[in-house]
Amino acid sequence: MLCIPYYCKNVIISYNLYSHNHQLALKKILLLLCLCLFVAVAHAQTGGRFTLKGVVGDTTGTGLPEATVMLLTPKDSTLVNFMRTNKAGSFEFKGVKRGNYLLKITYVGYLPYQQNVVPNDGDVTDMGNIKMTFMDQNLYEVVIKTFRAPLSIRGDTIEYDPKAFKVPPGASVEDLIRRLPGLQVDQDGSIKAQGETVKRVTVDGKRFFGDDTKAATKNLPAEAISKVQVFNEKTEQSRLTGVDDGKHEKTLNLQLKDSHKKGGFGKVAAGVGSEKRLEGKINYNRFNEKNQFSVIGLGNNTNQGGMSWDDYQDFKGSQSFNWGDDGDFGFNGGRYIYFGGGDDESITIQAGSGAQNRGFNKNWAGGANYNFDTKKTKFNTSYYYNKNTQDLDATSRQTNFLTNSAFTKLDTNGRLNSNQNHRGSLRFEKTLDSNNTLVLISNFRFGNGTADYRSHQEYFRGVQDSTQLSNMSDITNFSDFNSFAIANTAIYRHKFKKKGRNFALSGGYNVNNSEGDVRQRSTNQFFRTSQTVADSVLNINQTNHTKSLRNQIKSSALFTEPLSKKFVLETFYNFSLKNDEVDRDVFDNKESGQVRNLNLSRYYTNNTTFHRAGTSLRYSYNGLNLLGGIGWQQIHLDGKFAVNQDDPTRTRIDRRFSNWVPNVSLNYDLKNNRYLYGGYNFSVQEPNIRDLQPIVDNSNPLYITMGNPNLAPTRNHSFNIGYNHFNATKFTQMFFGAYYNLYKDQVIYSQTVDENLVTTTMPTNISGGRSFNLYGQYGFPLVKTKSNLSVNANYYNNKNLTFINGELNDTKGNGYNGGLRLDLTPSDKFTFYANANWNISDTRYSLMSAQNQKIVNSTYGAEMNVKLPKEIYFNSRFNYNRYVNDRFGFNQDMPILNVSLYKTMLKSKKGEIRLSAFDLFNKNRGISQSAYQNFVSQEQVRTLARYFMLSFAYNMRGMSHSVRRKGYY
Amino acid sequence: MKKIWMICLMLGSLPAFAQQEGVVVTYEKEHFWSKIYDRLTFLSEEERSRIKTTWGTHDEGYKTKGQLFATASESKYNDLEPEADGGWRGRVSEFMVYRNLDTERKTEIEEFAGKTLVIDDSLKAPSWKVLNKIKEINGYMCMMAVAEDTVRDAKLTAWFANDLAFNTGPERYFGLPGLIMELNVNDGEVIFTAIKVEKKPLTEEVKLPKKMKGKKITTADYDKTLKTYINDSMKSHRNPYWNIRY
Repeated sequence: MLCIPYYCKNVIISYNLYSHNHQLALKKILLLLCLCLFVAVAHAQTGGRFTLKGVVGDTTGTGLPEATVMLLTPKDSTLVNFMRTNKAGSFEFKGVKRGNYLLKITYVGYLPYQQNVVPNDGDVTDMGNIKMTFMDQNLYEVVIKTFRAPLSIRGDTIEYDPKAFKVPPGASVEDLIRRLPGLQVDQDGSIKAQGETVKRVTVDGKRFFGDDTKAATKNLPAEAISKVQVFNEKTEQSRLTGVDDGKHEKTLNLQLKDSHKKGGFGKVAAGVGSEKRLEGKINYNRFNEKNQFSVIGLGNNTNQGGMSWDDYQDFKGSQSFNWGDDGDFGFNGGRYIYFGGGDDESITIQAGSGAQNRGFNKNWAGGANYNFDTKKTKFNTSYYYNKNTQDLDATSRQTNFLTNSAFTKLDTNGRLNSNQNHRGSLRFEKTLDSNNTLVLISNFRFGNGTADYRSHQEYFRGVQDSTQLSNMSDITNFSDFNSFAIANTAIYRHKFKKKGRNFALSGGYNVNNSEGDVRQRSTNQFFRTSQTVADSVLNINQTNHTKSLRNQIKSSALFTEPLSKKFVLETFYNFSLKNDEVDRDVFDNKESGQVRNLNLSRYYTNNTTFHRAGTSLRYSYNGLNLLGGIGWQQIHLDGKFAVNQDDPTRTRIDRRFSNWVPNVSLNYDLKNNRYLYGGYNFSVQEPNIRDLQPIVDNSNPLYITMGNPNLAPTRNHSFNIGYNHFNATKFTQMFFGAYYNLYKDQVIYSQTVDENLVTTTMPTNISGGRSFNLYGQYGFPLVKTKSNLSVNANYYNNKNLTFINGELNDTKGNGYNGGLRLDLTPSDKFTFYANANWNISDTRYSLMSAQNQKIVNSTYGAEMNVKLPKEIYFNSRFNYNRYVNDRFGFNQDMPILNVSLYKTMLKSKKGEIRLSAFDLFNKNRGISQSAYQNFVSQEQVRTLARYFMLSFAYNMRGMSHSVRRKGYY
Repeated sequence: MKKIWMICLMLGSLPAFAQQEGVVVTYEKEHFWSKIYDRLTFLSEEERSRIKTTWGTHDEGYKTKGQLFATASESKYNDLEPEADGGWRGRVSEFMVYRNLDTERKTEIEEFAGKTLVIDDSLKAPSWKVLNKIKEINGYMCMMAVAEDTVRDAKLTAWFANDLAFNTGPERYFGLPGLIMELNVNDGEVIFTAIKVEKKPLTEEVKLPKKMKGKKITTADYDKTLKTYINDSMKSHRNPYWNIRY
């Protein structure tokens, strides 16, 4: 009898009152109720301890052994003591502190028993024979299965759990109420509880459409309700007067499920500033349990960029992040079969690009997103538009070192770029059953734009930019382009019965189509004998029309098989076929009309076939994850090119590269928050098809490029190792690591510079290039929770090889980077953050050691936040950047100070008004300097400097104001 | 059946290492992180609701398993190593809870915020309130009891089975007349559910392990450390719950 006589799962019942129309059950329960609740209470007791005893038996008086007897406080049912009855069914609590108790007895198969205990004056209070009512199987099933009467009583409130009352999908609350025991719905829709008419219906305790009790019950869906409560409430009159007239009204309260709390949140912000600066942003998101809908719109000319990550998450909601959607399996994922060119716009929405500090940008963006989420089906669709125009004026200076000489180029240029994109996405995920999942994804992008480029360039012999003028060029280019891309992926995942045995298959079809026109005009003057009159002049006036179409089909398969509890074998195969067709028609614009330029016009088709098959063994146990694998891959390039489609002579490039690719990775969770990780990986990058074509491109007469059909792929050995440790109670953290890359047959661009300083480059392979990086950081609190200091350091060393005029130049770079960061967070009213970073890069050239460079860039920053009275806040940020290169006498300082004062307002701090000043010293210039291979360069860009702005924001979720910086959590 | 229970009760008082009637219970522990984040007081309402809209609908609970061995007088709880599913597997942190109702003592081993602690102290059960609710879990009729965890500031809801006369439960939870079959922390932030209950005689399984390495600490000191840690983390705007057992 003691074993499991029940068949229903997870049903909540409450036994104080079983109210249903089963007469027999009702009678028994009423009887029980009387027993439980109306035990007479006698007089009070004083001091000492007493013994409480009794005998538990069934209705015939037979003792029930092993029954659970609990002694509870009557006030809040706190468990004071418990025991089990002995063989004869008797129990005895000794040394019980004198006081009133609630005795609760349970025995499987019997209705729980409850009785108040009021000890008598003596040492022993005997409860006598307690008779428990047998709950026979039928009754139990009636109660649980048929009526599933899950109701509980708290005070005068009867609470029903609607989960247990099955109603058809889409049913209203009224349908639900009809099924609740003790409640009735009349024909006219009015509700009766225990025979009394319900006067008031509230939702979450609030009135719902005045006094019309039917409005809520008829209109709300039953599935939105988490609890139905019936209680007596004082009448309106007694509530108003505060005098309890003893009259009560039956009230029905419907508690909504959290998930059904339909919600909406949104934010609107607008700012107007000096220098014609404007910015605005609006977003709104509406959701309920299954649906999320959102819109966003933004525009600014304050270099703010597009959506931030926060905006993106509010926009995409539950579909913000989906991992593994590329469908590429195996180690390093889809690294080898990625789609798109290097500088192509992404096909998906890009967020978090941050502020733009180059030039003057205008941004517009807007879109809508819809998500539907259930356990089995997830659907997402979105549309997003963005437009960016950039006005950029720059001056740059670059010195190139040759075998025994050098030349310096000064460039003053202006750019006006504009581009816009329409992006759409569809994603559908269906859990077919517990073992099978299907994901379908389609993303597209349609974009177009224009680019206007004007440049004046001067070339000087040597490292000075004042004497020995060699060339002078004036360039005017204009381009107009449009593109369309679509990527479709299907992923199917299957789990076998054996845990850990999985199979996945993916397929994809991608198209990338682009078309553009470029008009190039330039005047190039060459000076040899004189500095004022050119010896020769070369004028270029060309129009080129380029059309390119790329198609790709790809597929991947993955199978994992657990070999034992600690070893798993993973086998994968990847395939990709990429087809490129590029048609580039170049015309020289002459007075007589357009003439096709046969040197520059080109038509080519290329098929790149990729196969990779591999297997890896993973050991994972007790925090150690070790993976070793090997793959074999083949890249086949099959290209044909000609001057023009009509040209019957096609040159063929047919190259096949096969390699073994090993891979090792380590991840070790050493106890106590210490982690060790590392890996080795070998990668092969096939040469770019453009680099393989033995064609001379002289569209820039001062920088001529040539192809090389003999190029081999770049092979890269890369190693990395790292260690992390953090002490969670002391709040210290430390990490350090190193990585190393070694290149074989690296594709580099060798340079030949002629006497006119015309550079001709050709890709070639070279081995021996390498890079090494060592980094570390240590952070610790100076005063716990109040201040924190962290120190970081970084060292790098690299070796870059280039051929300069046929001689090998070995550029060695040594870089030292150090930084400090101090966070002071003494209170909720004041914070201060400071940081300093120094970066020294030391570059040595083997061909011209006299030109060795040392570049020093340093950055200092400070931020202060103060909370003033009356919800007024003050924020200031100061950044000081210093750029030094002694060799060229380059020494630039850039102090930038931003300050803002803001005040929260309106109810729940939903509004904010803010006055800000950006770059108070008016010193912002986009400065950069670098030294690489055989050149050193500096650039300055005219960019947005001082302006003032007044802005207002309204956030339905409340403006968050903290003097603390936003951290990670 | 009744006889067996009587025997079991009698055996409970026999000296250690004798074979005793007992249960082996497998618990599944689910963490609902999208709800736990709601407890981070330093996040703004906007940040908290963003976490819910982004992760809430996908949060199916991070699942781990633990195993409890129990006799009438002793019980021992351990975490179980996750099964290999082909991917990366994390380390199971050190955790063991041993309770002896006869001596009213407990020994707990816990890796707490980067340190292994051994808590050897007297037993103190939470103050349970037994309420009038019943539900069935895995074939056992269970009653509801609630308590407060004042250290972690959490609301505990336990469902215990009267017909499994073992005063024990998952992890640190005990103090009810029957085995705790389900334990719910803060309305579903963390849920323990007994997914398998197996009755069998136990000997060694339920005993205190002989080797125990770690820093000895009393319950009072542990509670203090934990409370300070949670407070400090909140003040430093860090999520304390990643590093402790929730």
